[in-house]
Amino acid sequence: MSTSPSPLVLGTEPIGKLLAQYALPAIIAMTASSLYNMVDSIFIGHGVGHLAIAGLAITHPLMNLAAAFGSLVGVGASTLVSVKLGQKDYKSANRVLGNVLTLNIILGIAFSLLCFPFLDTVLYFFGASEQTIPYARDFMHVILTGNVVTHMYLGLNAIIRSAGNPKMAMYTTLLSVGINIVLAPIFIFAFKWGIKGAAWATVIAQTIPLIMQIVHLMNPNRVVSFRKGIFRLKGDLVRGILSIGMSPFLMNVCSCLVVILINRGLKQYDGDIAIGAYGIINRIIFLYLMIVMGLNQGMQPIAGYNYGAKRFERVSAVTRITILWAVGITVFGAITSELFPHFIVGWFTTDTELVDKSVYGLRIVFAAFPLVGFQMVVSTFFLSIGKPKIAIFLSVTRQMLFLVPFLIILPHFFQILGVWISLPVSDFIAFAFAAIMFIRIKRSFSKQHIP
Amino acid sequence: MKKRVIITIGRQFGSGGRVIGQRLAKDLGIAYYDKELLAEAAKESGISDEFFEKADERTNNSLAYVLSMGFPSMGFYTPHSEMLSPESLFLFQSEAIQKIADKGNSCVLVGRCADYVLRDYPDLLSFFIHNKPENRIQTIVERQQISKEAALDLMKKTDKSRAAYYKYYTDKEWGMSSSYHFSINVSLLGLDDTVELIKTIIHKNIFVQEATPA
Repeated sequence: MSTSPSPLVLGTEPIGKLLAQYALPAIIAMTASSLYNMVDSIFIGHGVGHLAIAGLAITHPLMNLAAAFGSLVGVGASTLVSVKLGQKDYKSANRVLGNVLTLNIILGIAFSLLCFPFLDTVLYFFGASEQTIPYARDFMHVILTGNVVTHMYLGLNAIIRSAGNPKMAMYTTLLSVGINIVLAPIFIFAFKWGIKGAAWATVIAQTIPLIMQIVHLMNPNRVVSFRKGIFRLKGDLVRGILSIGMSPFLMNVCSCLVVILINRGLKQYDGDIAIGAYGIINRIIFLYLMIVMGLNQGMQPIAGYNYGAKRFERVSAVTRITILWAVGITVFGAITSELFPHFIVGWFTTDTELVDKSVYGLRIVFAAFPLVGFQMVVSTFFLSIGKPKIAIFLSVTRQMLFLVPFLIILPHFFQILGVWISLPVSDFIAFAFAAIMFIRIKRSFSKQHIP
Repeated sequence: MKKRVIITIGRQFGSGGRVIGQRLAKDLGIAYYDKELLAEAAKESGISDEFFEKADERTNNSLAYVLSMGFPSMGFYTPHSEMLSPESLFLFQSEAIQKIADKGNSCVLVGRCADYVLRDYPDLLSFFIHNKPENRIQTIVERQQISKEAALDLMKKTDKSRAAYYKYYTDKEWGMSSSYHFSINVSLLGLDDTVELIKTIIHKNIFVQEATPA
């Protein structure tokens, strides 16, 4: 892009400085969105109760599925907008904006309309019980009502970010988190709205930034803004957007299937409270994973550029520094979870049964967590150097390829322990694969040619 | 020549478009860029030309690539976040093309959507060169030293990937006359006279500035 600074600095500036410059904004945005989810769980845990935590955890896959449809449009949109803006083709960029909004409205409403009549069936399939379904149902009713807002908000955010306004996109994200943190306790504790209060806080926390985005895009002086005639769907454009977004969509759908498998296993071998425990643990894992993902996003252009410029020593340097930071973060997560599990879980609940199960699960799940930092950076490393096949393979190993068979087999022998232990075992094997691939490519680096 | 002119040539594989471009540049005494664009892009961006060659006039629609788009960054994707993605390389290449145009000298640019990249330059003249399949196959057979069947196959494949590439980045149809100022079938006049025709067009300056293709 001619607006962005010359990429040449990526080949000359000190690596540490570049990484900080590229990774910090990403880390802030990622952490904000995971804090958002954490805060919801914390307020629900204290304000509504331990069964509500389980009810909330059951809705996670459904929320992920909704987000999957959001990313189906959002990722393609931001790619196409960037490509068009890079060519100063503002007309096409605006058409992408209009089509994205239309697509999001259609998908957002269709998803809600399809989910409402089958909500109970879906939630039971996801692992709900007579005790937990009222919470899950209440929560989802509100979320599904506001689903179209969520879709529009995420889609427009993706476009505003790629249209050269990453700061605006970041502020709306932070604003949304802020509103949620303020409203959720008011609705739950003061108004006694229960789990519905948390859901309303979420919906409102997205509506206000959405209005800001719309006002932002109404300004005709902006490069990308609402114009007449951009909203009619254009076949080629829709196809382009959807085909680019297919990958994150499929990944989200798969990860949602895996969570369903875990939740069902936990329910079968240990009951509702175990699902709640996993809900809590998942929030904690997510916080660390998001920070590592932010680091990865910062590393990607630096590693990619220098690999392209054949400055392998700089590729190695940035990869090494990123791995050190990422492992530092996951080691920190593992140590704190192993040493102070009661303290961490105590943030979410005071219910003894839920605390006990969460602590038990937390200690097992975090056993192999230090390895995850390395594994994720290596996967992104392969992506940045233009080897997407290996990157996908590595990522799929940890989240699906090994996890799913373990989740099916291990509980038969070890019951509930088998469900929990599947996670670190899968992490460990995925780490081993990543390490082998990484060592192999490092060898070809030292021979100084493009492998 | 008094007035500066940027000539872009889109061409079917084996149509003779490249030879026509080279002759034009030679006769007019101006710079010629075809594969040279890749080297320019490499020089400007600092990224090795091997990567530009690998991505040259091809869209990457392999399943792995489609699956890797926007992954794992989930919605925070910009072309330059993956420096070596086809989109990113295309942008570098486009910047190099613009740099060449901004030098202010006349030149001939072959392929790489140069007509689209430079669409806002008033002194642009865009051509699309096509030819009868028999002639093209003959040319390919001679140039690549392969059988007629292989040439036909290569011709179809290359055309297809050039069309997809053009369509992906420009939103216009490759080879459709309305995408260019002029579209010429070489088989009508032959190489020599086609070059003369284009020179006449340039010299007579029949080019109307407002008539940019949609």
